[in-house]
Amino acid sequence: MRDLIKMVVVLTAICGVSGLVLSYTNQATKAPREYQLLKYVKGPSIKAVLGGYDNDPIKDKIVLNMGKDKKGKPILKNIFPARKGGKLVGLAYGSAATGYHGPIDVMVGFDPKGKISGISIMTHSETPGLGARIVEPAFTKQFKGLTLSGDLNLTAKGGKIDSVSGATHSSEGTVEAVRKALELFPTVKKEVG
Amino acid sequence: MSISQEFTKGLWKEIPPFRLVLGLCPTLAVTTAGENGLGMGLATTFVLVFSNLLISLLRNVIPNKVRIAAFIVVIASFVVIVELVMQAYVYPLYKVLGIFIPLIVVNCIILGRAEAFASKNKLLASIADGLGMGIGFTISLTVLASVRELIGNGTLFGAHVMWSSFQPFSIMLKPPGAFLCLGLILGFMNFVSARQKGH
Repeated sequence: MRDLIKMVVVLTAICGVSGLVLSYTNQATKAPREYQLLKYVKGPSIKAVLGGYDNDPIKDKIVLNMGKDKKGKPILKNIFPARKGGKLVGLAYGSAATGYHGPIDVMVGFDPKGKISGISIMTHSETPGLGARIVEPAFTKQFKGLTLSGDLNLTAKGGKIDSVSGATHSSEGTVEAVRKALELFPTVKKEVG
Repeated sequence: MSISQEFTKGLWKEIPPFRLVLGLCPTLAVTTAGENGLGMGLATTFVLVFSNLLISLLRNVIPNKVRIAAFIVVIASFVVIVELVMQAYVYPLYKVLGIFIPLIVVNCIILGRAEAFASKNKLLASIADGLGMGIGFTISLTVLASVRELIGNGTLFGAHVMWSSFQPFSIMLKPPGAFLCLGLILGFMNFVSARQKGH
């Protein structure tokens, strides 16, 4: 019996201490881990859609509270500001919409007036060779300079975006994601200043 | 054996994974570039030294019947610490090593040293043993990875070192290359040992 109690006590103590140490490490490394994740996962996209800045948009990221979701949890959105000499020269943030197979995540860059400076597809699960071609510059560069207007539509709907041939849903999804981002711009701009 | 002997035995006489043929899974899987081998070796060394340290300290407290469970909790904790720290500060290496970082938990060298050495020896000797084994493992992995990278890709730690007309043998970067390389190094070490003994 004494053996049994000793075993339980020792193992519990070891697990308890281990849990404490791990939760401390988790807290201590949280900020740098998030930074690294953004830098290597979203960094290339941010670089592609913004230009002419001298700050680190990921380090200077602004977290905005965009209301609450259905469960009452706050929806937080990362905004990446591009600054040159302290002056705001651009903004970038992610947006998503449903494509043919699943969500398409797009990083959209804006100039301070709200014109698109570039878009970059971060993640998608479209058909290789067809819908997956939305990542190609030939498609994404068409969004440059657009604002929230009739031009932001596929040519079939009277807009200026040539869809990727054979992939109308994927192209439509991208346009939708970009439109969502554009609609958010006034709110974001007001918050960022 | 003295403390210094406990340390140096890990560098040649019992060097893992060649002499102490344990921990072959990461040895074969991650040694495709010098940098990966070094990173894996250092991560393992950290876990090995600290788990040896803690298990040696607790050796009289841990009941014999639950010792393996206790060892694994200690080892797993250090592995998670390594994983979090790598994720926070050396993200590209963390991505390359991927699943093999959490798998350090089941690396037989670490449990082997805890069971065979740290649970029976004093603190300093255990630290020396962990450090020696860890550094030995790091050296082995770095050598193995460098040879594979050199022949398989023509580079060494990312820098081009082979002549320009050199055609890389890409098989060296694939799983068979790992076995080939491991076998050749093992053979070379046996040859040297045999010579030392004067056979």
